Amino acid sequence: MRSQNEFSYGGDATVKRPELGKEISDQDWDNFVYNRKSLRGKHWELWQHLSGCRQWIKVQRDTATHEIFKTLKANEDIS
Amino acid sequence: MQKYSVFSLVKNALSNHENWDLAWKDPTPKKEYDVVIIGGGGHGLATAYYLAKEHNITNVAIIEKGWIGGGNVGRNTTIIRSNYMHDDNALFSEFGMDLWRRMSQDLNYNVMFSPRGIINLAHSDAQMNTYARRGNSMRLNGIDAVLLNREEVREIIPMADFSENVRFPIFGGLMQPSAGTARHDAVAWGYARQADDMGVDIIQNCEVIGFDVSAGKINGVRTSRGDIKAKKIGLCVAGSTNILAEKLNMTLPIETHLLQACVSEPVKPVLDKVVTFGAGHFYISQSDKGEMVMGGDLDGYNSYAQRGNLPTLQHVLTEGIAMMPFLSKLKMLRTWGGIMDMSMDGSPIIDKTHIEGLYLNCGWCYGGFKATPASGWTFAHTIAQDRVHELNAGYSLNRFNTGHLLDEKGLGTKTWIS
Amino acid sequence: MTQSFRLESGGLINRDKKISFKFNGKNYFGYEGDTLASALIANGVHLVGRSFKYHRPRGFFGAGVDEPYAIVQLYRNGETDPNVKATEQELFEGLEAKSVNCWPNVNFDIGAINNFLRIFLPAGFYYKTFMWPKSFWFKIYEPFIRRAAGFGTASIKHDKERYEHKYEYCDLLITGSGPSGLASAYSAAKNGAKVILAEDKSRFGGTLLTSEVNIGNQSGKEWADSIISELKEMPNVTVKNRSQVFGYYDHNMLVMSERLSDHLPKTKKFHPKQRLWYIRAKEVLISSGSIERPIVFGNNDTPGVMLSSAAKEYMKVYGVLVGKKPLVFTNNDSGYETAIEFKKNGIDPIILDTRKEPQSEIIEEAKNMNIKIKNSYVVVAAQGYKKVKSADIAKISDNKEELGSIENIECDCICVSGFWTPTIHLASQSGNKTKFNEDIDAFVPSISKQNEKTIGAANGIYTLKETLKDSFEKGNLLSKKITNNENKVSFPNVVEKKSAIHDKFWCVPLPKGKNYKRFLDFQNDVAVSDIEIALKEGYRSIEHVKRYTTLGMATDQGKTSNLNGLQLVSKIENKVVPAVGHTTFRPPYSPVSIGAIVGREVGKHSKPTRKSPMHSWHEKNNAVFVDAGVWLRPRYYKRGDENLFEASKREAKNVRTNVGVCDVTTLGKIDIKGPDAAELLNRVYTNAWLKLPVGKARYGVMLREDGIVMDDGTTTRISENHYHMTTTTAQAANVLSHLEYYLQLVWPELNVNVVSTTEQWAGAAIAGPKSREVLKKLFPKSDVTNEGLPFMGYMEGDLFGVKAKIFRISFSGELAYEVNVESDYGYFMWEKIIEVGEEFGIQPYGTEALSTLRIEMGHVAGSELDGRTIPYDNSLEGLLSKKKDFIGKRSLSRKAFAAQDRQKIVGVVPLDKKTSIPEGSHLVKDSNAPLPNPKLGYISASCWSVEHDNPFSLAILKDGKNMIGEKLFVMSPLKNKVIPVEIVSSHYVDPKGERVRS
Repeated sequence: MRSQNEFSYGGDATVKRPELGKEISDQDWDNFVYNRKSLRGKHWELWQHLSGCRQWIKVQRDTATHEIFKTLKANEDIS
Repeated sequence: MQKYSVFSLVKNALSNHENWDLAWKDPTPKKEYDVVIIGGGGHGLATAYYLAKEHNITNVAIIEKGWIGGGNVGRNTTIIRSNYMHDDNALFSEFGMDLWRRMSQDLNYNVMFSPRGIINLAHSDAQMNTYARRGNSMRLNGIDAVLLNREEVREIIPMADFSENVRFPIFGGLMQPSAGTARHDAVAWGYARQADDMGVDIIQNCEVIGFDVSAGKINGVRTSRGDIKAKKIGLCVAGSTNILAEKLNMTLPIETHLLQACVSEPVKPVLDKVVTFGAGHFYISQSDKGEMVMGGDLDGYNSYAQRGNLPTLQHVLTEGIAMMPFLSKLKMLRTWGGIMDMSMDGSPIIDKTHIEGLYLNCGWCYGGFKATPASGWTFAHTIAQDRVHELNAGYSLNRFNTGHLLDEKGLGTKTWIS
Repeated sequence: MTQSFRLESGGLINRDKKISFKFNGKNYFGYEGDTLASALIANGVHLVGRSFKYHRPRGFFGAGVDEPYAIVQLYRNGETDPNVKATEQELFEGLEAKSVNCWPNVNFDIGAINNFLRIFLPAGFYYKTFMWPKSFWFKIYEPFIRRAAGFGTASIKHDKERYEHKYEYCDLLITGSGPSGLASAYSAAKNGAKVILAEDKSRFGGTLLTSEVNIGNQSGKEWADSIISELKEMPNVTVKNRSQVFGYYDHNMLVMSERLSDHLPKTKKFHPKQRLWYIRAKEVLISSGSIERPIVFGNNDTPGVMLSSAAKEYMKVYGVLVGKKPLVFTNNDSGYETAIEFKKNGIDPIILDTRKEPQSEIIEEAKNMNIKIKNSYVVVAAQGYKKVKSADIAKISDNKEELGSIENIECDCICVSGFWTPTIHLASQSGNKTKFNEDIDAFVPSISKQNEKTIGAANGIYTLKETLKDSFEKGNLLSKKITNNENKVSFPNVVEKKSAIHDKFWCVPLPKGKNYKRFLDFQNDVAVSDIEIALKEGYRSIEHVKRYTTLGMATDQGKTSNLNGLQLVSKIENKVVPAVGHTTFRPPYSPVSIGAIVGREVGKHSKPTRKSPMHSWHEKNNAVFVDAGVWLRPRYYKRGDENLFEASKREAKNVRTNVGVCDVTTLGKIDIKGPDAAELLNRVYTNAWLKLPVGKARYGVMLREDGIVMDDGTTTRISENHYHMTTTTAQAANVLSHLEYYLQLVWPELNVNVVSTTEQWAGAAIAGPKSREVLKKLFPKSDVTNEGLPFMGYMEGDLFGVKAKIFRISFSGELAYEVNVESDYGYFMWEKIIEVGEEFGIQPYGTEALSTLRIEMGHVAGSELDGRTIPYDNSLEGLLSKKKDFIGKRSLSRKAFAAQDRQKIVGVVPLDKKTSIPEGSHLVKDSNAPLPNPKLGYISASCWSVEHDNPFSLAILKDGKNMIGEKLFVMSPLKNKVIPVEIVSSHYVDPKGERVRS
């Protein structure tokens, strides 16, 4: 178990960057850059072990209770 | 309505305080209103007040899930200022300052507005220049601002660290003398009392379950206390905006984050200014009760918990001691957290929406309390006239699409970086 | 002074060691083991301070952490601490304390006039007045109120004490060393679990120290002592006294503050005053006991009215009598225990019991001792101002609403017991939704949210036998789960007296015609009438009541007031207590010193300081440093009595004419390796990177996804699949995370590795027309001619035996090179550069000259790349590739970003060519326009152009591209300056860029 201090938050993990070079509507681009669901309850999010191995990980956490349910490596998909 | 004054206080004292009126009633919701405001916080209450007072719209209900004033209006560090760089923010806030100055009299409720001044400390010449840019902008917008050098700062707040053993020496600071603090709860209660008196129904313990939208128009709201019809509905629920937006199938440029604050035990007056640290995120003022009121960074991840963790507070207080070493000897008495609507450029949204009759007031980040009167005033205008006022024209929802951003800090979309 | 209230024997104090102390200037004596409170009471002192609002006299109410009154200003070793609870402060030789919140002194306090005006000062009175005239609030009323409020005085002296942090893991954390804590710790320890047992007080044992029980043929105290000494011997157990677990955070992280030196006359050298423990516990057993709650009656705040358990503790632990004519007012059997203790010490108490005909072993014992007991009796009001002199008492009807005739009886203290409130703070903090237990009229923990269990009195279990049984079991079960060991300990035989059930009575009605203040919150002066007013006015939710009346908001955090407040609201609102709701407790359990929370990161250590390997050279050569983030960089090198302006001008001029050297170690450096490195750069930077040859550098700009410039810098292709990226000092960390984010999450298919090498390399920029000459001397074996090492070229070289990287890049706009060597050789490199450069007139230059040089050239830096500008604004649009996509490109086509009249960087020159332009000024068309005066742009950076010998600034100006040649005004109202200026190109020196290529 590592201290929270070592990690840095990286936002909503379900946001997918649009593919490079592809046409994309204003709405879809805004959804990627700005718009967030940010709901109460289970939330998949990114954290980086900044003062450590520097790996980005995906964490499913409850935004109301801070309970952590699952963690995934950067290259694993949220199912 | 009873007028509050020293005379009414004496009169009531002599009748054993048994004849005080209700500050606001506790009505059952009607079937329909002209306007329903969702959210009985400072902004919602102010909106209802100005709808009644400025626009003569009194068939209004405020519906509140819990009890009025229980959200961020009662959980903030009470700082009031208009020291903004961007014109839209500055002019909006300065309009608010005017409302603050006469609020106690307007509301006949002492909100204890205390224009004691705010000082932003600078710790390098580069920072002095950044502050100069903001201060000059303020002055050109007609807002008071003074650039202080190190000695001038020392004279005003000698308890800041002017010693040799300091990591980031104080170079000077930007002061807005007219900024200050107010008694947060009183703001909510004062607006509530007057709004109630003008006929607004304040309905507490009434949770929104859903909305009645058809053909692009809003018709009403479904609540835990039954359906309520209204052709105009205003959303004023900073901290819960995303939750209600989901019920409307809207996704907004807002993330929900936790900001902690704390107070020390009360001590005799030692600090009579609001002061912010320039080499980190820390701000402090001393309440009339004597408590040092302190805050700083977000906890740094999406959160709806009105509870935070100690490392963030430790970090904030570390900066506190770096700025004012004497704080070390005080004791932390209470901590709490507030849920913030963090918008993606750090500025709020007060606008119409793509749904006719649905109006949005959200995204206040850390700055909601000071904005209470101006937000209520402009939102009431936007709802009553069905168009934005020039004061809130910059706070449009589509500015993210057009790129007309209002980013005071230049931090972009990473809202968790405070 | 004699200790006239000290018993002749008894107590746990050390009577062999007398301790002298001072209170309000008077000398007193106490004993080792006393608290300031017990020592004062021993000396007959009961007037300690004044209350917050009415300035009513205040004495002692409790004997520990729940104390609402006895707050003093403490003086210790030349320092002063405000708001110290006398009941918690252990006595030490030379201790000095003073009363607070009173003027001129505690005996005669002017503020007490509020007490006579109190009917005019009900809850919330300040919201209803002080509004006229308008300006008076801030100028007159508020300063007056501020002075009246607050308790102690904060010294603004720096705190010289040291505070430490400790991080610890354990299997089982047990919070409190009363019977439940000891039993559970013991059984868990026997199972081999790693146990931490924390006790807030100096003595272990909790209620065992004061109760008349027998455990395994030992007294409670003896049993506690034996368990503790056994625990202390066990290697798997940590036992800590003076240690309060004050916060229960997420993921079973608890925080404890250990007071190591507060009880000593001064802190030992190099020792901490307090230590903060972050404890990650697998399981937590909350054994924090319970706090006696008061019964509410008239003038119940008079000094001499106190909790009955406190009176007993003063006798049993400190050998001190709180009075010699005690009245015990109780609704349960606890009061009897106190009365019995008085009787044993030769004092005759009178018990007023609200119950009609209670029967129990304890009551029987009291009767047998001939203690006077009045059943169905209540205290209506205490009489006496600075100390209880008598009590008005009366019989109360069975329905508890009617009072009989009032009698007055003499007494010098009133010991109150309104039954017990479990200390559920930690459980509540952990997320446990507590429930109301009708049997004890109090909240107890319910379903655990984290790995926590509450045991003993904290869980509402008030018999010792049950407590011990449950605690032994819980300790055993939880530890067995962790260690897979079971060494069951045998359960000792327990003898305790049985109690009768308590009476739910908690508030004495007012007699007709009397208007006594009946206090709920003693420190904040919140009385029953205040709550009534709040409810009458519609402040009905418990949160409204609390905020309007300030109930429970004092420094004791409502430990003795919350529940009675809830009882009152529920009665008036005609609801059951749980329907009124209850407060969710937040840390800290009791106030914690801010110094302890912060620890060692104070003063110079509040943030790390980063220094380059050449730092000591700079120091020796009169460098004046500037903070650049956490780095220290030379700002200029002072010669003689030069000031910043003169020195930086000299240094910059020397670069333009001869050659200068600048420490650029702080620039961020990132090593990029892998077959897809070029592709990564091509996606991250706005310009094209796929065709950069080996041995060449290129300047690049990277954007955030929202189109705003994030950073700029040069990246060099060292070999086929190896690049060396530089970033600005400020953005180094962000850029690395940014690259890692895209590589790990967005484009994992790219085979690239990135790593920060900022610390590995020391860097020196050698700039100026004579820089090549210096380079030739530094690298005699290398071909550094314009052909051999052209602009934006890269080569490796041998610097007197040290391997070096040589980049021909320039920030100053002059012919320039950047030399990197491994950090360990940085100092060596620097000395060599200075040595060989001497004949060419080399001078070191600092950040100020660096700024001047870049400003003249129109090169952008942090003040332009301020997180709000796009490439176009900085005249970097030429670097935007049209052919490929890159991070942030899509955002640039947004309306405002693509606007024709968009802001752009320009140069600004004062018309008089003399007046310096302050940075942060704004450009306006009309300097006399009414406010708000529309701003066209702002001055981002200013310098004295050494090339043109006049002031020059950069500005970000609206429609900048069409403004060249325009005459505008620079305004700095802050500095009272209006300067007529002309807008020129931002490239003020060498606009064609010939020098860098020469």
